[in-house]
Amino acid sequence: MQADGSVVLRVSRASRRYGGVAALDDVSLEISSGEVYALVGRNGAGKSTFAKAAIGALALDEGSVRVLDGDPTRDHAARRVIGVAPQEIALYPHMTVEENLHAFATLAGVREGRAEAVREAMDAAACTGRADQRIDHLSGGWRRRANIAAAIVHKPRLLVLDEPTEGLDAETRGVLRRLIETLRTRRTAILLISHDAEDVASLADRVGVLHAGRLAVEGAPAVLMQQAFGARQELTVRLGAHAPLAAPILNGHGLSSQDGLSFSGLIDDAPAQALQIDQALRAAGIDVRELAVRPPGIDALIDWAGRTR
Amino acid sequence: MIFVMLRVMALSLWRDKAGLVLAFVLPPVVFIVFASVFGAGASGKLDVRAGVVDQCASAQSRRLTVALGHQLGGRLTAYRDKAALLEAVSSGRVDAGLILTGDLGMTPAPATVLIHPGRRAAGEVLSAQVDAVAAQALPDVMMEREIVRLAPLLALSNTQLIRISHTRTAIPPAPFVTSQVLSGGDPIVVYYAGAVSILFLMFSAMQGAMSLIDERRSGMRLRLGLSVGGVAPLLGGRMLWLIGLGVAQALVLFAVAAVVYRVPLIASLLPWLVTAICAAAASGGIALLLAAACQTREQAQTISTFVILILAAVGGSMAPRFLMPAALQAIGWLTPHAWVIEAYQAVLWRRVVDLRVLEAWLVLAGFGAAGFIGALAIERRRKL
Repeated sequence: MQADGSVVLRVSRASRRYGGVAALDDVSLEISSGEVYALVGRNGAGKSTFAKAAIGALALDEGSVRVLDGDPTRDHAARRVIGVAPQEIALYPHMTVEENLHAFATLAGVREGRAEAVREAMDAAACTGRADQRIDHLSGGWRRRANIAAAIVHKPRLLVLDEPTEGLDAETRGVLRRLIETLRTRRTAILLISHDAEDVASLADRVGVLHAGRLAVEGAPAVLMQQAFGARQELTVRLGAHAPLAAPILNGHGLSSQDGLSFSGLIDDAPAQALQIDQALRAAGIDVRELAVRPPGIDALIDWAGRTR
Repeated sequence: MIFVMLRVMALSLWRDKAGLVLAFVLPPVVFIVFASVFGAGASGKLDVRAGVVDQCASAQSRRLTVALGHQLGGRLTAYRDKAALLEAVSSGRVDAGLILTGDLGMTPAPATVLIHPGRRAAGEVLSAQVDAVAAQALPDVMMEREIVRLAPLLALSNTQLIRISHTRTAIPPAPFVTSQVLSGGDPIVVYYAGAVSILFLMFSAMQGAMSLIDERRSGMRLRLGLSVGGVAPLLGGRMLWLIGLGVAQALVLFAVAAVVYRVPLIASLLPWLVTAICAAAASGGIALLLAAACQTREQAQTISTFVILILAAVGGSMAPRFLMPAALQAIGWLTPHAWVIEAYQAVLWRRVVDLRVLEAWLVLAGFGAAGFIGALAIERRRKL
């Protein structure tokens, strides 16, 4: 963790209701300079509402948002230190990567050294090779790189990234993860909204789980995982065909199934149990297509946080 | 900020070939079609196709049909009998028919025009042209008809009648009416230049304004919301772009009108420019308001098409306002279209800049300002 203790984003007791539904309910959190904070939660948990509130695009019913002690809903100075890369490609499709970055640099108030800032942002997002290509002529991965380059062209102190690696190939994911690491070393505070367990585990200093508008749990990913699951791991078994004898064996190991073909569960000593299950199923002549042991994913963490709350 | 938005909008249009055609090629084409149809009709140059049956087969009737053929520019077809001509008129192969019966000098009504009920105007035009051609090409015959008609009143003897008939070729008919065509552009051509201009201005402005919705949908609105100055410069830049685009679009259309129909654009350039700016501001303001009020592109497409077509129909972009009932003409003043047409007609046809023109400019600028302020209010409120 590179956080130096100076708070960049401070959200205090934020609440926002839509009709009778609380999209945010008394949420407080802080992100320090150089810290990556991952915000996770189910659809409708309030992640997007929180992100909009954090950048000043949404007024709160109660509570406050401060970015470097400024109110981003009112202060231009506070807004100018924020960068945002929405999940959608928020770029002008008829313009090239470089033209887009020039436009957004100007809009963000970069007056001197604009060309240099554009070049640096393209280098950082590894999209210099596509500088002269129109956005609507690029593949999804290159668009995503350009989308993030546009968010950092004015060197923001707070960067909001909404699902930056979703649907990308391994190479582009690697590029974007390295970019986030670089930004962290440059002391940028990053709010990362992601559903990707690897993103959260490898990048986030802290993770917060939103559940029905409330911040259910918060902490370092490894600590939270330990707290939630201890030594338990997720064991998944996928059968080649329905087998009446499989269910009793797998249920006995704490695995359950919705369709009779795929069984899963969070269990202790998963590798040893996987071995036993494999032997038992083969002895019964049951076709096993997949047998995998993984660390618990984000969905499991979200479920646990929802139950804990 | 404003110039960035201008550049963004300009690049987007420049690289959108279909958008360029819609903005700059289609309006002049549609204008030429309207002006050809309505402008030519108003100037008396209706191209009537006629059929003729010459039952007299005299030297005079042949002179008449030859002269009429010249007058109609060769669009006169001879038929062998009345039945064939009737069939040609009924089937629409010709717009009207002419039957010449009896001696042209002596018979009370020697020419009959056959008129299809669906083409009364063509029949009236042919009747008038036959009268005019007869007076010009057969003055002797027309004189003879007058003498025959007046003989009982003047108590002329047969000897006197015969003597007059021998000298009739020397006396030309005395004209009763002389025509004088005044200088100035064709009002219908100017009318349709204005009418088509504001119609397409609205479509183009709506197309440009809908980028607001695209920005919202793509999440760009979040990014733009962080920009220096907030929403006002973003909308202001867009409004300026729509005004510039509208003036450029009107310039292309009126340049075509000036070249093809001699509309006096250069002579009235300054008042024309003010009118074009006000018209573009009105359409830009309305388009921004509609785009800001709509949630999705589909919704904006449907609502804007409805609004633009209704405004065009009521405001006089589709049919001339002077043909509308008085009540509809009065309602038309609620649309920018009527004011745009009024202003263009004043500055390009009547060539005046009077209080009425100033009023039109103010109303159009008011439409633009109201639309812009409304859009700004909605966009700012949307942030909450």
